[in-house]
Amino acid sequence: MKHWMFRCKDVSQKFSESLDRKLPLHERMFIRMHQLMCRYCARFRRQLLLLRELSRSDKFVGMRQELSSGLSLEARERIKASLKAR
Amino acid sequence: MDDASLINPDDWVDQYGDTLFRFAFQRVRDTNVAEELVQETFLAAVRAKERFKGQSSEKTWLFGILKHKIIDHYRRKKHQRSDMNVEDFAETTDQFFSENGKWRIQPINWDINPVEAYEQKEFMDAFYQCLSQMPQRLADAFVHREVDGLSTEEICKVMEITASNCWVMLYRARMLLRRCIETNWTQI
Repeated sequence: MKHWMFRCKDVSQKFSESLDRKLPLHERMFIRMHQLMCRYCARFRRQLLLLRELSRSDKFVGMRQELSSGLSLEARERIKASLKAR
Repeated sequence: MDDASLINPDDWVDQYGDTLFRFAFQRVRDTNVAEELVQETFLAAVRAKERFKGQSSEKTWLFGILKHKIIDHYRRKKHQRSDMNVEDFAETTDQFFSENGKWRIQPINWDINPVEAYEQKEFMDAFYQCLSQMPQRLADAFVHREVDGLSTEEICKVMEITASNCWVMLYRARMLLRRCIETNWTQI
């Protein structure tokens, strides 16, 4: 059985995990070395970093806001009535 | 001046209703549930208005209440959907690799600059659509982590899952999302 650092499937999972917690130094080095040798894993890395950068930008939040509509008229009236009833 | 007098519930629905609704809808993706959460938020705020200290804006205060309501919603939903677990999506990521662990469906070079990504409407449309179409639980994990920036610990609490399940779900969400974008982005 090959070491996990030679398997793209394992490296991709480890790299994703590295975005959510700090991996031990040797694991980070294995991942980086693999990504230097494997262009597909290097692409995968760039893709995930791009998705993170875009997701966290104010523009993305704004875009998602624009695509959702507001409260319906019915809900608006219902909520107002419930507030008045209190 | 009494801090509680700073707030005016009569204007809340017109002033903040749409913003709160959109915030809730993006997370729960159900119009009725989002409306209920907004209503619960306003009612909870009325009950708690004496405790409003005026240290944050009225809007920030209401958003804080809404966030708690959304977390409560996820907790309730978790109990209703105990049949859904992390293994449900195992096949979806296995399909990308051959038996020896090499890529079977190889990632494509996106050749896109983060600064210019927002100018590329097709890419952003694909991104948004793919996120909307993802299995809800995976999309929830992705949004908590990447959009809202919650830590693993916070996501575990909100979704009531273990840390290792959280990492696996995030991996599967990212795999599905990037592949969906590749399939739907017309520039590739």
